[in-house]
Amino acid sequence: MTPKTPSPASKPALKFELLAKCSTTRARASNLTLPHGPVPLPIFMPVATQASLKGLTPAQLEATTCRLCLNNTYHLGLRPGQPVLDAVGGAHAFQGWNHNLLTDSGGFQMVSLLKLANITEEGVRFLSPHDGSPMLLTPEHSINLQNSIGSDIIMQLDDVLVTTSPDKERMREAMLRSVRWLDRCMAAHARPHDQNLFCIIQGGLDLDMRRECTVAMLERDTPGIAIGGLSGGEAKADYCAVVKAVTELLPEGKPRYVMGIGYPEDLVVSVALGADMFDCVWPTRTARFGNAVTRRGVLNLKQARYADDFGPIEDGCGCVCCRPAGEEGALGVTRALVHHNSAKETAAAHLLTMHNVWYQLNLMREAREAIVGDRYPAFLRRFFRDLHGDKERYPAWAVEALRGVGVDIIQDD
Amino acid sequence: MTSDSDQNTMRFDLLKASLADGAGARLGRLAFSGSRTVETPTFFAITSRGAVPHVTPDNLEKHVPVQGTYIALEDFVERPQANLTRTPPIFKTPATPTRPRPLHNFTATPYSTLTLLAARRLPAVASPQGNTPSGISIFTSTGFQTLSTAAYQSAVATLKPDMAIPLADLTNSPTTPNSKRAARMAERTEDWLAQWLLSSSSQTASSETTTAIFAPTLPVPYAMQWEYLARLADDFASDIAGLAVYSSDIIPDLANHPALAAKPRLSLDAPATPHHVLRQIALGADVFLLPFVNGVSDSGVAFTFQFPAPAAAVSEAEEGNGTSLLPLGRDLADPSFAAQVKPLREGCDCYTCTAHHAAYVHHLLSAREMLGWTLLQIHNHAVVAEFFAGVRRALAEGTFAEESGRFQLRYEAEAPAGTGERPRARGYHFKSEGGDGKRNKKGWGKLGPDGEEATGLEGRVGGLKVEEVEKRLERDLTETPVVPDGGGRELEEGGFAEIEKK
Repeated sequence: MTPKTPSPASKPALKFELLAKCSTTRARASNLTLPHGPVPLPIFMPVATQASLKGLTPAQLEATTCRLCLNNTYHLGLRPGQPVLDAVGGAHAFQGWNHNLLTDSGGFQMVSLLKLANITEEGVRFLSPHDGSPMLLTPEHSINLQNSIGSDIIMQLDDVLVTTSPDKERMREAMLRSVRWLDRCMAAHARPHDQNLFCIIQGGLDLDMRRECTVAMLERDTPGIAIGGLSGGEAKADYCAVVKAVTELLPEGKPRYVMGIGYPEDLVVSVALGADMFDCVWPTRTARFGNAVTRRGVLNLKQARYADDFGPIEDGCGCVCCRPAGEEGALGVTRALVHHNSAKETAAAHLLTMHNVWYQLNLMREAREAIVGDRYPAFLRRFFRDLHGDKERYPAWAVEALRGVGVDIIQDD
Repeated sequence: MTSDSDQNTMRFDLLKASLADGAGARLGRLAFSGSRTVETPTFFAITSRGAVPHVTPDNLEKHVPVQGTYIALEDFVERPQANLTRTPPIFKTPATPTRPRPLHNFTATPYSTLTLLAARRLPAVASPQGNTPSGISIFTSTGFQTLSTAAYQSAVATLKPDMAIPLADLTNSPTTPNSKRAARMAERTEDWLAQWLLSSSSQTASSETTTAIFAPTLPVPYAMQWEYLARLADDFASDIAGLAVYSSDIIPDLANHPALAAKPRLSLDAPATPHHVLRQIALGADVFLLPFVNGVSDSGVAFTFQFPAPAAAVSEAEEGNGTSLLPLGRDLADPSFAAQVKPLREGCDCYTCTAHHAAYVHHLLSAREMLGWTLLQIHNHAVVAEFFAGVRRALAEGTFAEESGRFQLRYEAEAPAGTGERPRARGYHFKSEGGDGKRNKKGWGKLGPDGEEATGLEGRVGGLKVEEVEKRLERDLTETPVVPDGGGRELEEGGFAEIEKK
């Protein structure tokens, strides 16, 4: 399958500038300039599903240093809906967010609806979860709605299967269909001058199929490239093999986005494998259960031992909550306060959400600094030491994946 | 007229009073250490467990124009089943010379915000156990427990709020106590206050961390408490910074005690509407606590009232109906706001109205996103703050009585009922008496084993066991469903997909 004619949708509305490459791993540091401003890569993108990041004002989200977050197309289609988005002038104006947005295609929702969904060449046929009406979602619908949303990065509709699906033939069909649907998405894309359409590489856990898909997608020359269909419960080693196989084939000059990834270990390993962008609901979801993400691991602040712990959520953290009260704009929030109101007052969840988003962004900022200073292998060793202490506890998949790109984290600096 | 308490904790200057004896509406200024001043009449925000509901401390400092918060000790002293004898963590909060107040430190309340500590939430849940000669019954998240006068005084000394209300013997019931009970309330409250002042005079506090004491007056007829008030005036006036007035009916009678007349009056007689606020201002109340603000935000309503009320001509054009009264607020859950790219109230300069518009708040309410209630809290507190600023200007210009009358004529009596679904119950917002209606339809599984609602008062909130309440909150806090409910028509109109033609 080769693209018929070059599409205007392949002309980027972004600037990608590679700053540095790790001399050992495939990690890269770069600057991505989108229509709503610059974003340093590698980056974690928090998920503001319904045009709001779980109780945070846009100003509070900005204070976490976030400059690119997600909205979900399916949710915005349902509420507020395309007519309102058109009337208000898109999702940026709608939510008062002057930085960048990325939207998914809505295809991921179809995986959850698979029992009710039937994928045909025309599009996804599914029953409305509410009233059972038979519905059709096409690549054109998805792009048209994302054009109304006005997000800086939009995603193609793809034929998603769970990676662990054993049906190789169906997997190949889905992969090839995703390529054909990219052509339809590019043809339907009405705003290539200010919205960047990313392709999504599919092919399950079959590396050859992934490579074949990568080649076909690259021919379409989209402004950025996503690796999809992962984070669906596959083994971590399989995940790493897919990312590694795909990044090997990718051009240097385009951003690479691995969809649905957010655990800190997954982020630092995926960066080593050559990926630049990640998103996940986990850091913000877990905050609402009283969990703080720290360099020493996840702390459940609902536990009784934190009731009179007057330390910050994380020592040395630079977020608005953790910096000592008295410093400019700092709150001096203690673990005791979060414990006191966790699951009792929503404000406690908002505080932890701010901390967790800051943690994820700061982790990527530190990774970037290490890559620029060509210290990424040492960064990785320190990261795993801080997180696990004892080397016995390092996860085997991470040790193996990093060995595959030239770093032995078991070894001392 | 100036009243200095001996402790020099807080000063109150009456700048202008309608009557020479300090009765009637009045303009004043509270001055605290560190040159923090509060112009009165004003209001303080009411917290739940130390937090203004839905508002983080950074948003409180930047966007909520209130100068003080009301904090209830009963929100901090629960005894978990696993550790019934623990010292409540709040009492172990560290303090430093630059951050000397543990109550601020524990709750992360900005030091620019004054704290007012009381034993009970406002409004307080009536306790089935009643009070005793040595203390009162309080309602924590783990149930009712007793709080002795000594323990409460020690809590105030430890936590160092800017202001505190000593214990009063209250029934917290809507019915007026009989005269025997009323007399005992006055006696006990007098005893408790005498003990308080006796033991606090033996303590020395640095001038930076003193606590201004607002002595309670009781929600009983003047005849039942005039002896207590006389004692306040004769023996205690120099030791107390102000009065905590549990029933505003008593305010006119305070003129009988000149030593109390110039004390600031903190109203705990929570007014139900802005109209009631104006009536209490006219009586001479200075500082207000307004539970209706948090309640109105939860109901999805944005206040739109202003003081002075807008001139009739302008609003007739706005309303298109010259005869109707202006509403106090707007129900933003109403579908008419779906594409309303305007501030919540024209001309409002609060954070919500300058950064967002009604359509977004409507969306957040219909999507049940927590930010909706945050933005409404910011806006509604700002509207009320502006209302008080307008009242103070009118008092300074001598037009208060006239403008107050015009306001009552221009605006509807009550804020519109919000049609939006409320946030899930948090903490223990509600009365504990059995049989209270639920504020939202049941949306979360069974309430007890075999679907039977558990009974018993202990640890129940609005007819729900506390753990159920927490479960509901958890639902509020959990992730938006990957595939939210949406009918075919909604999906098609929203542009996500089309209904298949047969």
